[in-house]
Amino acid sequence: MSARALRSIAVTLGAALLGIIGVLAGLWCAGYPPATVVPTWLAAAAGNELHLAGSLQQAGPLLCAGLATAVAFRANALNIGVEGQYLLGAITYVGIGVHVGHAPGVVMIPLLLLLAMASGAGWALIAFVLERTRSVPIVLSTILLNFIAVALVSYLIEGPLHDPVTSAPQTEQLAPGLRLPVLIAGTTLHVGVLVIAALAVVLWVAQSRTVFGYELAVVGANERVARLTGIRVERVRGLAMAISGALAGLGGALQQAGVTHYMSDGSVSYGYAGIAVALLGQLHPLGVAAAALYFGMLDSGSAGLERHLDIPHDVGDILKGVVTLVVLIAAVVQWRRRPWSGP
Amino acid sequence: MTLHAWLSAILVQALVSATPLTLAGLGELTAERGGVINVGIEGMMLLGAITAFAVGMTGNPYLALAAAPLAGMALGLVFALATVVGRVDQIVCGMAINLLAVGISGTAWVALQNHDLTALPDAAAFHRLWGQQYGLTYVVAGLCVAWWWALHRSRAGIIVRALGESAEACAANGIAVRRWRVSLVLLGGACAGTAGAFLSIMDIQGFEPGMTGGRGFLVLALVIFGRWRVEGLVAGSLFFGALDSLQVHFQGLGFDRYLPYQAFQMLPYVAALCALAVLSRSAPGPGQLGRPYPARH
Amino acid sequence: MLSLEGIAKAFGATQALDDVSFTLERGSIHGLLGENGAGKTTVMRILFGLERPDRGVIRIAGTAVRITSARQARALGIGMVHQHFALVPSLSVAENLVLALGAGLAGGRQAALQARIANLGAELGWPIDLRARVGDLAVGQQQRLEILKALLGGGQVLILDEPTAPLTPLEAADLFRVVKVLASRGTAVVFISHKLAEVEAVCDRLTILRRGRVVMSGPLAGMTRGRITELMIGAAVVAPVRGAARPPGAVLLDLEQVSVADRQRRERVHRVALQVRAGEIVGIAGVDGNGQTELVRAILGQAPASGTIAIEGVASGAAHGATRERLGVIPEDRQQDGLALALSLTENLLMKARNQAPFSSCGWRHRARWQAQAQALIADYDIRASGPEQPAVSLSGGNQQKVVIARELSPQPLVVVAVNPTRGLDLGATASVMHRLLAARARGAAVLLVHSDLDELMQVADRILVMSSGHLSDSTWPACTREHIGALMLGEQPAVAGTGTGVGAQRP
Repeated sequence: MSARALRSIAVTLGAALLGIIGVLAGLWCAGYPPATVVPTWLAAAAGNELHLAGSLQQAGPLLCAGLATAVAFRANALNIGVEGQYLLGAITYVGIGVHVGHAPGVVMIPLLLLLAMASGAGWALIAFVLERTRSVPIVLSTILLNFIAVALVSYLIEGPLHDPVTSAPQTEQLAPGLRLPVLIAGTTLHVGVLVIAALAVVLWVAQSRTVFGYELAVVGANERVARLTGIRVERVRGLAMAISGALAGLGGALQQAGVTHYMSDGSVSYGYAGIAVALLGQLHPLGVAAAALYFGMLDSGSAGLERHLDIPHDVGDILKGVVTLVVLIAAVVQWRRRPWSGP
Repeated sequence: MTLHAWLSAILVQALVSATPLTLAGLGELTAERGGVINVGIEGMMLLGAITAFAVGMTGNPYLALAAAPLAGMALGLVFALATVVGRVDQIVCGMAINLLAVGISGTAWVALQNHDLTALPDAAAFHRLWGQQYGLTYVVAGLCVAWWWALHRSRAGIIVRALGESAEACAANGIAVRRWRVSLVLLGGACAGTAGAFLSIMDIQGFEPGMTGGRGFLVLALVIFGRWRVEGLVAGSLFFGALDSLQVHFQGLGFDRYLPYQAFQMLPYVAALCALAVLSRSAPGPGQLGRPYPARH
Repeated sequence: MLSLEGIAKAFGATQALDDVSFTLERGSIHGLLGENGAGKTTVMRILFGLERPDRGVIRIAGTAVRITSARQARALGIGMVHQHFALVPSLSVAENLVLALGAGLAGGRQAALQARIANLGAELGWPIDLRARVGDLAVGQQQRLEILKALLGGGQVLILDEPTAPLTPLEAADLFRVVKVLASRGTAVVFISHKLAEVEAVCDRLTILRRGRVVMSGPLAGMTRGRITELMIGAAVVAPVRGAARPPGAVLLDLEQVSVADRQRRERVHRVALQVRAGEIVGIAGVDGNGQTELVRAILGQAPASGTIAIEGVASGAAHGATRERLGVIPEDRQQDGLALALSLTENLLMKARNQAPFSSCGWRHRARWQAQAQALIADYDIRASGPEQPAVSLSGGNQQKVVIARELSPQPLVVVAVNPTRGLDLGATASVMHRLLAARARGAAVLLVHSDLDELMQVADRILVMSSGHLSDSTWPACTREHIGALMLGEQPAVAGTGTGVGAQRP
């Protein structure tokens, strides 16, 4: 393993650790000594098989969102829109799923997942096309598209896809044939998590062993040189955005297929958390996997903290923000930087 | 509703909605002119909102209003140190700031709820003055004029504009580039924080997680299609204020018979997207925007 | 009048200046010579307050002073004109002055400022329009503004850092005139340069720096060129030998009636004709900004152009695009356009070969082969690095340029386009670059060398064309004088041959 890779890992670990220490210190000042906090947290995150499965399941959508963000960021396409692309993938899966009734799952599930990926990719490509043709910065367009997606999904949930049986704003439930099987009985850990993990490996291989992965890195490092040496920069970035959106959509769909099975106005998207995961993982698929696991355990753990110690789970969010910042700052020390690219 | 009453209601709300956009926009415009892009305004606004709300529990509205810019500046300081001094990528850092702000405000809100402090006491709320507007709106209007003058006629304004075009030239002239940029970011944070306070202790008079609703990002778009000029910012803010106003008066104006309310929810963002699509091409912005100083290699 | 005694300055592990001492006399024009990196700019930055010395003392009229800021330096009457002007192009002259001098725009001070600048300008024969946008001024005019700014502090000392780099020979002559006028009025002028000819033309005293040390300081009279060069460079460096002119081969780069507009739609290249044959180096001389950049962009396909550009005989269509990708390109800015700094040497070196067998097949990279090739190139091109995985950013400028050259020239392209390839490099690295270009010429490549350093161009080019205001003219080199080329650079002599085909030299 090269010196560079070792340093990357050190940075990630260091940041994660610094974040934890910071939050533990804060909690201590608020009256919760680490001696109480840490065991409760660990137990809730990984204490027994049930909790560990919960952490892994939590990590699933985070990993998908993180991978989606990382792929785009590597090509210097700042796709902040994973939040919306995720939701669109989810609503595609559920929206079409509840209309196909009891069709055979073996056929329908992959088909629906593909459609979900297409929705996510399409939404991301809107931003890409706008940048290509009208010079609209992807950062802004993807953020705006997030809000539009949220409103769109809300309309669908309360309107055409509304479950007529109830007055609550939610869709019908997915038929059992369209739900993913659970790996460990009694938990929410579903097959989809394995799929996502496999995807992380696939992306890793693609990144380090394929010419496309290499071109992605070059485009992200210096677009001008890429162009000069014959790399089709726009095609690479477009593909990166499409893959990013597809992964986001997949994440949303898998979460529906595996865990929630219906959508409501309270449906959560993991897009913004995905950004933190991607940055903590230094945009490397394996790093992102580790980061997703870390955040997954954080989420489980902070749910436990809330249950047993009345500490609001938002503390977990603060931790994510702090850790992200530490990673960024450490990246400066490490020479890893994004080349400037003005508007 | 008579046409007169209808128009008047729209106009009043438009100005109210435009105020936080303009205020945060002035700060961001200045920072961007100086070469720093801060996508963390959304977070700074949110933090300002919760800070003003929390301090408002003391019953003193002016104290609440004073606390908000401080909160914005605190986040701004973190951002400034990381990006200007640490030369971390500005956009990514800004998003991290947003995440941080969401976390902090969420925790604070839960703490407030636990203590049953969920409603703003009457004494701490500001009331509308002439023309159904809050005092802050008039202050902001005055600020716009002062800002325009300062940017174009004062030495500080010349320096700000120079920083965004050529940081090297400024440094060669003995100007402390990084100190100025940090100050600009702090100023932006103060403006954003105050804009957030406007939301929580004046306009909406309450708090909800995520109440800024993307206004911070709208401000980023506004600065772009206002061409980084104060006049453009004001025009854009008024336009978006009007759109927001339509959303607020949605039911009162009878729109709910024709369209789902989500259509109006997404209208400002769709409009911003369309405006960017039309105008981005010809708006290059300050040359140094996003570039760290001194350059990283 | 002003003396530096024992100045030392280190940047990290590098000792930039070591025990530097010399004196500036009133009314003298003092040349400060040395290679890139010798410390000339550093010592002047210390004098101007932009850096602080680790050791040593500066005395003015015998009294020790500590110069801690540019403002203070100005107050002491020291002014400096930097190589890269401290001007903001989008602001007006007046606003730039406010930026520099901190005067409030309160009426009284502004008027006084304007009056002083106008008077100074008039005295020196340089009219100045305060309301003009600096970006619209010609480079020579911008430099004049910088000089006037520098003199506002009182004009005791004026430091000029490589002032003739962006000027035409006529503008340079005017600059020398003004410098002599200033000296006659008592200003001590410091003329930083690495160009012998200029220093000889205008200076009366000389200090030579080499690797941060003073190797000579005294009157210029009596110094021979050879002696000066020896002191500047130290060990003799083998100058590239051009060798005999070869019989012209096939035309590999052919431009006919090519016009190029810049991003603001202004035409910057006017109906240029140019042919480069196999086995020759065609140089394009000219001051930066006369259209060379746009011409190269057109050849590289980065800017639309009218007329025809044929590479290896292929003029347009898909085949042309593919042929263009085979060009060997050494861009002007190696850090911005030549390298992906964050990536490793291997990743930079293999960029053009990424899709070729044996390095990849069906989109799959054979990493071991990438490493092996990188190692081979590093050895072959003498790139000083700790290993192929080292990030390109941590290499020195010369080694970075070697990486670019290795990548571009190792596939042995038939056509090479190089733009200012020795910018920022010391003599050793410069010689290495020129050797590579000559080697390409020797194996039959057609090399187009766009270069603003006339001396280097004269060392290697078979023919020299001159680009002036978007027009390309043949200089009949080597049948003409250096002055003739200089005149062409100014556009003074109308193009005699008119085209750059190099067929049949004509007397001017």
